[in-house]
Amino acid sequence: MSTSRSPEWLRRDAEKITGSLPPLMAEADRLAHTVVAGVHGRRRAGPGEAFWQYRHAVPGDTAERIDWRQSARSDALYIREMEWESAQSVQIWVDNALSLDYRSETAPRSKSDRAALLALALSVLLVRGGERVGLLGTSLTQPRVGETQLTRLALELCRVQESRPDYGAPPDEPMVRGGRAVFLSDFMGPRDDVFPALIRAAEAGVSGAYVMILDPAEEHFPFDGRMIFESMGKLVDFETQRAKALAEAYRERLFERQQALSDMARRTGWQSLVHRTSESPRKALLWLYAAIGGLR
Amino acid sequence: MLGFGALAFLNPWLLAGLAALPVLWFLLRAIPPGPKREAFPGVRLLLGLKDPEVTPERTPWWLLLLRMAAIAAAIAAFAEPVLNPRQPMTGSEPALIVLDGGWASAPDWADRQVRARELLAQAARARRPVALVVLAEEPPADPVLDLRPAADWQGLLDTLTPRPWAPHRATWAEWLEDAAPSVESWWLSDGLAHDANGVFAQALAARGPATRIGPVELAMALRPARLEGGVLATEALRAAPDLPRDLQIVAIGTDPAGTERRLAVLPAAFADQETEATVALDLPLELRNRVSRIGIASQPSAGAVTLTDSALKRRKVGLLSSAEPQEGADLVSPLHFLRQALEPSAEVIEAPLEDMLKASPDVLVLADIGTFSADTRGALERWVQEGGLLVRFAGPRMARAAGVISDDPLLPVRLRAGGRTVGGALSWGAPRTLRAYPDHSPFVGLPVPDEVTVTRQVMAQPDPELPDRTLAALEDGTSLVTAADLGDGRVVLFHVTANAEWSSLPLSGLFVQMLERLAISARSGALTAEDLAGSVWTPVLALDGFGRPVDVTDLPGVPGERLAEGRPGADAPPGLYRSANRLVAINLTTPQTVLAPAAAPPPGMALEALGVTTETALKQWVLVLALLLLGVDLLATLWLGGRLRLNGVRTRAAGRVAGRVAGSLLALGLALAAGPSWAQQGLAETPQVDEEWALLATSDTVLAYVVTGDAQVDRISAAGLSGLSRMLSARTAIEPGEPMAVNIETDELAFFPMLYWPISEGQRSPSDAAIAKLNAYLRTGGMIVFDTRDANLGAGFGTGTPNGKVLQRIAARLDIPPLEPLPEDHVLTRTFYLLQIFPGRHVGGELWVEAAQDAREVEGLPFRNLNDGVTPVVIGSNDWAAAWALDPSGRPMFPVGRTLGGDRQREMAWRFGINLVMHVMTGNYKSDQVHVPALLERLGQ
Repeated sequence: MSTSRSPEWLRRDAEKITGSLPPLMAEADRLAHTVVAGVHGRRRAGPGEAFWQYRHAVPGDTAERIDWRQSARSDALYIREMEWESAQSVQIWVDNALSLDYRSETAPRSKSDRAALLALALSVLLVRGGERVGLLGTSLTQPRVGETQLTRLALELCRVQESRPDYGAPPDEPMVRGGRAVFLSDFMGPRDDVFPALIRAAEAGVSGAYVMILDPAEEHFPFDGRMIFESMGKLVDFETQRAKALAEAYRERLFERQQALSDMARRTGWQSLVHRTSESPRKALLWLYAAIGGLR
Repeated sequence: MLGFGALAFLNPWLLAGLAALPVLWFLLRAIPPGPKREAFPGVRLLLGLKDPEVTPERTPWWLLLLRMAAIAAAIAAFAEPVLNPRQPMTGSEPALIVLDGGWASAPDWADRQVRARELLAQAARARRPVALVVLAEEPPADPVLDLRPAADWQGLLDTLTPRPWAPHRATWAEWLEDAAPSVESWWLSDGLAHDANGVFAQALAARGPATRIGPVELAMALRPARLEGGVLATEALRAAPDLPRDLQIVAIGTDPAGTERRLAVLPAAFADQETEATVALDLPLELRNRVSRIGIASQPSAGAVTLTDSALKRRKVGLLSSAEPQEGADLVSPLHFLRQALEPSAEVIEAPLEDMLKASPDVLVLADIGTFSADTRGALERWVQEGGLLVRFAGPRMARAAGVISDDPLLPVRLRAGGRTVGGALSWGAPRTLRAYPDHSPFVGLPVPDEVTVTRQVMAQPDPELPDRTLAALEDGTSLVTAADLGDGRVVLFHVTANAEWSSLPLSGLFVQMLERLAISARSGALTAEDLAGSVWTPVLALDGFGRPVDVTDLPGVPGERLAEGRPGADAPPGLYRSANRLVAINLTTPQTVLAPAAAPPPGMALEALGVTTETALKQWVLVLALLLLGVDLLATLWLGGRLRLNGVRTRAAGRVAGRVAGSLLALGLALAAGPSWAQQGLAETPQVDEEWALLATSDTVLAYVVTGDAQVDRISAAGLSGLSRMLSARTAIEPGEPMAVNIETDELAFFPMLYWPISEGQRSPSDAAIAKLNAYLRTGGMIVFDTRDANLGAGFGTGTPNGKVLQRIAARLDIPPLEPLPEDHVLTRTFYLLQIFPGRHVGGELWVEAAQDAREVEGLPFRNLNDGVTPVVIGSNDWAAAWALDPSGRPMFPVGRTLGGDRQREMAWRFGINLVMHVMTGNYKSDQVHVPALLERLGQ
């Protein structure tokens, strides 16, 4: 199911050559812009924001960002950029397990698509703000600043990966002490794999947010009749004579899992969110931005 | 065989398999369809859960039913069900299948073939030898029944067609006496009595068990048509009063274009209990003469078709004599006897010769006309050569004129001047009587009455061809009637007058018969044996059993005696026969024909009706049904197991796709169903549109412009011609209608006196067809005005400018004569206005017209005598249309020139346009005007 992003994906090589952003990047960029526009006014009014520089407006900049006063002095349009006080390190983990490739009939996107989009959009926001961003579980673990890093992130998120696990768990990698982390996963894996990793992250002195991305079908369990359920990698299966009869028990267990996740967050000082792919990604991005930004 | 009403099974014991169905029920119930597989990440959360209720999984009842139905259908299919089964043949004697095969079998021939095929199939199943005889054929010479396996007859049966005559039942009955030992027979009878019906039935019944299979409806027939007071009358016949009452009588003939079509359709109805219905076809003469056959619409048989011959044709005969009789002297009028003889049977017209030729008569009778003017002679000769029959009677004028013209093609023989008188007061001998007719004469068979005497005649010059051309002679060998072919027509000369002055021939009955034989007048009454005797008749048209005309090239000629028998057969099929100029129709029926149903069958002969039901084997259909059910079962099982996904596409999407496909298929089906009617509408409408267009183009003089495809140029052309039309109406006698756009590829050009053709760069080269059309237009007097609209900025037209190059490309393929720049004295400079410049929006571009051929200076005249006619092309570059163009409110659309000079220039442009149209309309009229002084001088003024 690694081909769920394939229509766009086929253009990868061509875009690499031309140096333009991958479509995911563009989408993430767009999404990030809407958030910036929403948060911007508040930031600007607050203290501690110092003028940094004027730069020429380039295609892609929104009209709101143009500094008309400066622009009126010459023929070009200028954008007034602010300086952020210090740069944070944010490390994002995007679960690459097969289970995230699931997409039910009513869902607009698969979970992995949504996870990649959120990760990149957040990265755009952070990089624009001058933060350092890295991707856990990949070669880009080390957080860096700059647009180049964004492009690298986008490429990494779009990369086809071989031999992916059925269910994922946060990788056991060195994290930047005092930094922030964002875990994007469905947290459906075995409890013994997932939770120790979360504790490990907290112990490393990192705080951040969990986003549990769920498909609507995973939440509602709209199945009936005689069925055999399989995991995406077909490693686990389960047969039932009448699926509907199990719905209640399933939903209970799912709620338990969500509850366990938020308990974990509370205990470690993290924050957690359940995001459904049927919801707008903007909502999750706003929450994430507030959660990460709120830590400053 | 096991029967249930109309259904029977050939292998009924196989139906026992149905008893196994309940067992299958339990087996199938126990094997439910497989579970549905679903990839689902949440499966980990499910692990360890227990199903709260465990119901045994069962096959759904409807799937079970589906499978049972499929198996039941398969069992039923192998039991070989048959719809409408026939009783099988049980006997062991040879089977004899008898087909009437005459004309009365034709209407339901297909049913007969089907039934005969069934009989053959049954005989084949029973392994009985079969003989198949057709009563319309002559029986074979040796009386042996030709017994063969049933399959051998199949091919013969397929090719068999009904014959256009009655079955020879009596002959066959005799033959059967000798031929057949003991047979079981099936007789596919046409149910009519014909001849000796009872005899044949008895002969069959005597040979063994026999069945007569009669038609559902007996065939009908039509009696030969006759003329009754100018109306074509005929009777439709039916054999029994219970047959359908309402018929449609159809008259078929050729239309003026020579294609055969229905000329008239007339409903007819039988009165209750009547077996005859009289039909009268009242048609105009022109139409009636074209009727070649009349038939009953619903009865495709030779008996229901009657052919018409010359007896039913009234010919148009023109009469002309030189002497106008005095009032009251009818009996000495040269035409009196001709009128009397012809009026009952022909359409007689009398008018001046020229007028009569225009009315295109079939025959012209000229009584005592000696000389013609050269024009009339030419017209008359042409008319005869195109197939007219010219009959001339002698008289004093002809006698006087004879010998003046040595070899007159309008006389069959050369005549001596003066003629001769026999038996008169001043001559020897008695009046002469007739001698027997020569063999080649059409009069052979007519009586040679003694009372016909000749006292004066014109004499033929002795000539080697004279004996051949003589149709009747006097006893001394001198010719009385001579004839010769001229082109497609014929010239006949009676050497006596048309009144009783020179002979008593016009007083005798022979005169009328002679006219009849010469096909001058239509035959009255039926054909008699003596009419036919002594000549061989070639078929020109023969009917097949279905009453359709068939090829006659391989049919031999038939002696008249055989035709006179009035009994069509293999050697003389019904049809049209020709001998010399006469045409007779031999029909199956005679005016006395009556149809009678067949007599009741003798005891021991079973009766059966034809074509009520046919035996139909259902095995393949039931098998197909079983297969379809199994296919549905397959799909249903897959669907239940959740495996019905096409290539990973989710079922919902697949459903959408299927819906869309079904929708488009439905639309396609509708389109196909509706297609023919649309096509018909299209066919019906196209000519109408053309007609409207043509009416528009021809009801007024209309200026036209060629559509270039450049919308702006076309708009200017339309406005320009419209402005010019307005100016023409205001200033001249030409009042054109609204200008029209002409597409040279599709539209007819012939309606327009002049085409204005602005050249634009984007113009495509015309197709070959369009070029041919344009050339024809130019040849037949059309004029094309080419306008390159570029003020001829290049050097010489055709090379300098882009538009010039386009013009060159187009004109290269046109048939354009040599051109020259417009000479000063060209008629175009003075057709209405006197002009020397021809400005449009531009001034000064050269104007090219057809070069003068053979131009001559005429002494004392200001103009040369230029070529006759109108120049076919005018080529210029001044963009006239733009100068002419007026907007709807009458104001100029485009600026021309500067200030007042511009108005002047526009005025000159209009004047040129008016001259141009005048030139097209009046040709070289103005050129001729220059001769007026000379003419006046000659008249002595």
